Amino acid sequence: MIDDHPMIIEGYKNTLLGENQKEYQIKIDIASNCDDAYDSILKSSKTTPYDMLFVDIKLPPSSDGTITSGEDLAKHAKELLPKAKIIILTMHREDHRIHNILKNINPSGFLIKSDLTSSELLLAFNNIVSGTPYYSATVNNHFRKMMTNNFSLDEKNLKILYHLSRGVKTKNLPNYVSLSLSAIEKRKNQIKEMFSIAKADDQKLLEEARKRGFV
Amino acid sequence: MIKFHEYHILSILLLFLMIGCSDGTIIMEEEEIKHNLINTNIGEAKNKTKSKEERRESINKAYNYFITLEGSNPNRIKTIEEISGVYYSLKDYDTSMKMDRRMLEIAISEKDSIAMAKAYGYLGIYYRRKDKLDSAFKSFNDADKIYRNFDNSNKKDPLTYSYDHGKVLIDLAKLSRKVKDYSESEDLTIKAIEKFDLSGDNSYMPLSYSNLGIVAKELERYEDAVFYHSKAIEYTKNTPKDTLYAVLGNNNIGTVYKSAKKYEKAMEYYTKALSYYKFLKNRPKRLSLLLDNLGYVKFLQDSHDEEAFSLFQKAFKIRDSVNDVVGLSTNNLHFAEYYKAQGNDSLAKSYAIKVKEATRIVNNNVELLQAYQLLSKVTDSDEGLGYAQKYIKLNDSLIKEERSYVNKFARIKFETEEKTQEIAAISRENQLLIFAILGLSILFLLGYVIFRQQQSNKELLFEQKQQQSNQEIYRLLLSQQLKLEEGRKMEQHRMSEELHDGVLGRLFGVRLSLDGINQRANDGFTESRNVFIDELKSIEKEIRLISHDLGTDTLSPDVAYVDVVESLVSDLCTVHKMDFEFANDENIDWETIDDQKKVNLFRIIQESLQNIFKHAKAESVKISFDYVDDKINLTILDDGIGFKSSKVKRGIGLKNITSRVTQMNGVVDFISNQDSGTKVSVGIPI
Repeated sequence: MIDDHPMIIEGYKNTLLGENQKEYQIKIDIASNCDDAYDSILKSSKTTPYDMLFVDIKLPPSSDGTITSGEDLAKHAKELLPKAKIIILTMHREDHRIHNILKNINPSGFLIKSDLTSSELLLAFNNIVSGTPYYSATVNNHFRKMMTNNFSLDEKNLKILYHLSRGVKTKNLPNYVSLSLSAIEKRKNQIKEMFSIAKADDQKLLEEARKRGFV
Repeated sequence: MIKFHEYHILSILLLFLMIGCSDGTIIMEEEEIKHNLINTNIGEAKNKTKSKEERRESINKAYNYFITLEGSNPNRIKTIEEISGVYYSLKDYDTSMKMDRRMLEIAISEKDSIAMAKAYGYLGIYYRRKDKLDSAFKSFNDADKIYRNFDNSNKKDPLTYSYDHGKVLIDLAKLSRKVKDYSESEDLTIKAIEKFDLSGDNSYMPLSYSNLGIVAKELERYEDAVFYHSKAIEYTKNTPKDTLYAVLGNNNIGTVYKSAKKYEKAMEYYTKALSYYKFLKNRPKRLSLLLDNLGYVKFLQDSHDEEAFSLFQKAFKIRDSVNDVVGLSTNNLHFAEYYKAQGNDSLAKSYAIKVKEATRIVNNNVELLQAYQLLSKVTDSDEGLGYAQKYIKLNDSLIKEERSYVNKFARIKFETEEKTQEIAAISRENQLLIFAILGLSILFLLGYVIFRQQQSNKELLFEQKQQQSNQEIYRLLLSQQLKLEEGRKMEQHRMSEELHDGVLGRLFGVRLSLDGINQRANDGFTESRNVFIDELKSIEKEIRLISHDLGTDTLSPDVAYVDVVESLVSDLCTVHKMDFEFANDENIDWETIDDQKKVNLFRIIQESLQNIFKHAKAESVKISFDYVDDKINLTILDDGIGFKSSKVKRGIGLKNITSRVTQMNGVVDFISNQDSGTKVSVGIPI
């Protein structure tokens, strides 16, 4: 279990150990930062590999700076412990982040903390142990939205839409998305065309994006 | 009643007006009658068919009328000149002179130089007649001076005065001749001839040439003299005076030859003159003079010529018959000389004594001198010595007198010259003064211009400084705002992160733990605890929302300017208890806009708000920035009482706004109607 908040770890423990102790023999290692987590994973890969990893996305980065988040950690874990089931637990619920995590890690479980209750956690745990992936309602929602569109937007486009929806102006977007202003403008026009609302202003674009679930 | 009164007053007024008018016409008529009276009286006085007494009476009347309305006479100078002329023709020279003096006074008061010169000329003629040669010379000289001034100033057309100038010059020449200053007289005569030539009026030419001839004779340039006299005759040909000048001229030429001792020639010309018998028949004085002259020349050629004696006798008879005192005296002198030549000393003496007596009456010093000379020769030694002494004495005194006149004339001339020089000096001084004043005023002007230049330079510098400080203020305002913004942003970020990662995480942990415990504990309170767990969940959600809001980076740096403006508006409106709306078009990229423009817009808003607070009595104000066609439009709209654009003098506030807008090449409109608020629209190109 990797989380920088002991309270949360406590919560997970309470939930999992309270009910499941009768059925499973659960041994829990905890880490509160990337360094500790990586060390533990590396150690376990050489001895007894972990069956399951609870990974928080936002974590204090490793001291050498190569691992900055749970996302990076999960990538390493997939390599080191290919059999381990990875469950992502995060506070973030923004579409593009969900999208990224799904794409990069494809975790067995994806739980949004704000949705999470102990019973859901248990349900997810049980599902995953038995081999069925589990996603939170929010994540499922994201899936559904993605599926309804007969096209998909790449990460950059999603980011553009996301920042626009936050009220960032187009001209300031280069500060948030690593693209030039002209490229951003081009992409915006592409999105508008895809939404078949060419020549609409930003307001319309956002409305459409919300309707289609990209924001 | 009131109407009745008004009517009365009106009619009375009208009556007065009419009386006033008729008074005026009476005066006018009276004047006209008097003018007519003057003119008719002068006309009558000029009428030579009337008796002298009648003419005198008429001219006196004319003069009396003239005095009563002198001031109102538009051509009083002409009138008095005419009156003077009439008196002169009536031989009342003293009265004529008085008229001339009056004319001079009027001319001086009216600054009529031509009339002044004329009056001087008339006075000169009067003095010459009275034998006051120096006064005459002074008057003529004064007149000459005025004419010469005309010559120098080129202000007047020479045609208008050169004839009069010539007359004065010839008068001066005659005076000079009289005092035997012949070369001066010749000079003046030549000048006079030039003037007459210029005027195109030849009526004085014969006189001028005669004078030249006489002068030339005195200077013993006999050939010139003959030439001049023939020229005088030539000029009179085919004029009414041709006979007169033929006689005079031939007589003069004869005299010239007599002086040149060419007696044959002299006789020839005297005879020629005498051939105009018809003319001479009615002019006994001239006839006798010619006869006498011819006789004298004959006597000079041959002292025993009987014909000479008979001619003398013929002349004597005629002269005696018309009582020609001057002629008789000359005749007697010639008799005396004749008898002396015949050796008849006693007869010669008696004639000479007659001459001596006669010359005392006619005041002919030349003949007296000759008489003394003769007497000194024909009387015995003692008596002769006395006459000789008398002769010398008279001769000396005559020369002295002539010299004194010449000196006097020279002095008068010099004084006039001096006066002119003085005037010139004064005018030079005046010129100097004018130049000095001009120079000073130019200097002053220059100084003033420089001062103004400096002042405006100072103003410009001051304006520049003000602009700089304005910019500085704006920068400070902006940087302050930016710092504030930055701080706020940082703080928000920190709070957002804290909430999201710290508080939310811990809350989640607590909730999860509670939930976990709740699953296991079956004490019948599970449901109620679940309610609180859900409550915790909703708290989490709320906190996340807050965190999200805080973390959202909606505040771009360029918002700062709008913030500054908005805070200005809100501060001022709060102080003055007024509602406000502020709108900013997001398409305006404030970051790229020049600071100067931002400051100006800021000041315009400030200025307008001040106006609104002071005058408009408004309850709310709307301020908006719009972006249209590369232009920023600032609109400030209030719901106050407004003003009439035409009535309100452009106050310093409006002027400031206008000047700021023009500085930015923009346009400004103040649209206001009474009671419907005021709209200030400013358009600034980017």
